Amino acid sequence: MAKKKKRTVVGSPLTPGLLRELGAIREFVFASEDFKPGGNWVNTYRIWTCHGYRESGNYNVGFVRIERAASKSKEEFMLIVQQQVVQVDGILNVIDAQMICLNDQLASPIEWHLSSRFANPDGRAVSELGTEETVLIKGNVMSVKAGGRSFKQKVAGRPSCDWCLFEAVQRLKFDKKSSLAFDILEGLSLLKEGQHLSYRGVYPMKIGGKEARLHRFDQIGEGVLPYEYWLDDNHRLLAAISMHKAYILDERAEKAIRQRTEQVRKSYERIRSARRKKS
Amino acid sequence: MNKESKTKLRRHINRREFIKLGGSALAVLGSSVSCKSVSAAKQSRKLKPKNILLIITDQQHIDTIAAGGCRHVRTPALDRLKSRGVSFTESYSTNPVCSPARSSIFTGRTSSETGVHVNNLPIRSDIPNLGQWFSQETKYETVYAGKWHIPRSFTNDIPGFKVINTGIGGFGYLCDTVTSRACEGYLRNRSQSSPAPPKGWSRRGWARPFLMVASFLQPHDICEWLRLNTKDPVQLRYKELAGELPELPDNFQFDRNEPEMVKRTRQARDAAQGNWSKQQWRYYLWSYYRHIEFVDAEIGRVLQALEDFGYAKNTLVLLTADHGEGTGHHQMVRKNTLYDESAKVPLIFSWPGHVAEDRTDTTHLVSGLDIMPTLCDYAGIKSPKNMRGWSLRSILEGTALSWGRTVVTEVSSNRGRMVRTPRYKYITYKDDLVEQLFDMRDDGGETKNLATSSKYASTLTEHRRMLRDWESRLDVAPNVPNAESWGRKG
Repeated sequence: MAKKKKRTVVGSPLTPGLLRELGAIREFVFASEDFKPGGNWVNTYRIWTCHGYRESGNYNVGFVRIERAASKSKEEFMLIVQQQVVQVDGILNVIDAQMICLNDQLASPIEWHLSSRFANPDGRAVSELGTEETVLIKGNVMSVKAGGRSFKQKVAGRPSCDWCLFEAVQRLKFDKKSSLAFDILEGLSLLKEGQHLSYRGVYPMKIGGKEARLHRFDQIGEGVLPYEYWLDDNHRLLAAISMHKAYILDERAEKAIRQRTEQVRKSYERIRSARRKKS
Repeated sequence: MNKESKTKLRRHINRREFIKLGGSALAVLGSSVSCKSVSAAKQSRKLKPKNILLIITDQQHIDTIAAGGCRHVRTPALDRLKSRGVSFTESYSTNPVCSPARSSIFTGRTSSETGVHVNNLPIRSDIPNLGQWFSQETKYETVYAGKWHIPRSFTNDIPGFKVINTGIGGFGYLCDTVTSRACEGYLRNRSQSSPAPPKGWSRRGWARPFLMVASFLQPHDICEWLRLNTKDPVQLRYKELAGELPELPDNFQFDRNEPEMVKRTRQARDAAQGNWSKQQWRYYLWSYYRHIEFVDAEIGRVLQALEDFGYAKNTLVLLTADHGEGTGHHQMVRKNTLYDESAKVPLIFSWPGHVAEDRTDTTHLVSGLDIMPTLCDYAGIKSPKNMRGWSLRSILEGTALSWGRTVVTEVSSNRGRMVRTPRYKYITYKDDLVEQLFDMRDDGGETKNLATSSKYASTLTEHRRMLRDWESRLDVAPNVPNAESWGRKG
């Protein structure tokens, strides 16, 4: 009988340095001085996950691409988001969202269109699982149009959203004294209250033998494991880590996930044909 | 399903009528006192819910619902479900390990019978699962989203079910969010307001009732959390949490007269390896509760879709978990022991206007074995043969006349057994002279082992006898080890 390979637990919470040790990144790509968090940009993050072992079980499972489009009005801007997550056997979930956000500290979304689509292991769209919704927040009322129906829901204050925070942290000052309290609509749909976002400071560290200075914001609140947002000196978000999940800035993320999807689907096809032969 | 399984299943179904003639499964297999309110004549007059939604969470401690008294979480979805139905406080997993427990939930048979005595094994081919049974016996469309684990954790091929999402292991946000979105999409698109079914779906199929399983992975990611937090950091990573960390449970200290297997389970755990401080234990608890809130929100999305798209009144909703979580009780983390924190699971049923509302049932001993017969009862069909559990319908609708029973839970690859009676809990392991007996009325935290006290000798003997009686009725699968320990040949 083949011996089981010994696995060692990671033992400590994930940090940028640990991400490199575990092979999740080679190096961070720091922004140039002309990076403008309040301008137009596209950041793509590879979603990497860790089972807690050093040797195995750590994968890229998706990406989230966030595009910021500044508006002529200084009060608002647009975020265009696409998130793709590959499930086991190659089921793919794609979320597309176009949001109009207030140019406030938390990029509060006030109007958006969101769609969720599924593709099955052979790559075909599964129309009976797709959803679309259009939402408008006016005052403390959220009006939702979804599945041919309309709903109204009360909201307290101006909630932010997990994807919006990826934008917002880039515009915040590196100021240890300030802390923001707010609610979020996770995935633009699930309300999670009592969130706090605070700047922790600058952390000099060695990543792959190179000296680096990274700034950290922490988000703590109900229904989420704490998020740590790591930014460079020019306020570009390089990584967001929440427990065993890391969003890593990576221009090649989409390609990596396409490859991963293909790989998973091929492996499923192999399982299927083996089963067919057996039966 | 392979050819051999199909043949076995067909044979099994043909034999059902014969079994029926021989008397009800309950009369044959129930304990000494039967549930008087369940009878075939009554069943035929009972109303059927149009749809059934079975929600399963993974590794959820029973005391994790705000409306049930847990002060450390905010769980609006679970609160709402609880307030609209019956929740059981004396509800046990059949085997506090993922695959074995799931095999019982989906078959109504013990894990030693299904052959799933440890993780990643398939259910014995001659025992039908819920999806297979409903596909054959009813017109329900059977759909499945999320974790399966019998044998593969996540798979697009589940016998008897149409899989709408597979999920991914160890990554709750990316698994459960996609699972709840798939369920939401399914409910939205088939709702009556849709002008026509999507391409490829027949109108008849579209109007069929559904049995949906939404199987969430959380709060199981606490296992990943543990592997990332074995080392005690001395200082809290987030200093503002210092004032809000939950207190340690009352039974953090306990009687160390335990079977070796239990001691070994504790020693093998990440917490013991990390030699945690009390502060780290409390931080672990805080983190576990955030996992609970996470899954609550995903459950909320599915329940909201039921409401928004007109299913709520016609849908029986059932929520349970495969097993619990140590949560620091007996200085345990994770599962795989027979203490209540690991062996107990939430169990809630709701069907507005039919199931009693906002009722907490603290008296009836129930288990994962009861799910299959209960769902068959509600669907108006006979259960498969040899059910080891009972339909809970009479309790849910307030018509149960008597309910005398014991609950037996298995563990550790068929090496351990727990017998729970209304007053006591008895625990025993193969080849271990240390037995445990707890008075659950006076010592609910299981801190004082009474097994060595002469005062309880007759109670101990009585529980040993009950276990022997129970075991003598089981049809243990050939692949299950240690069968001889329980007076049977595997």
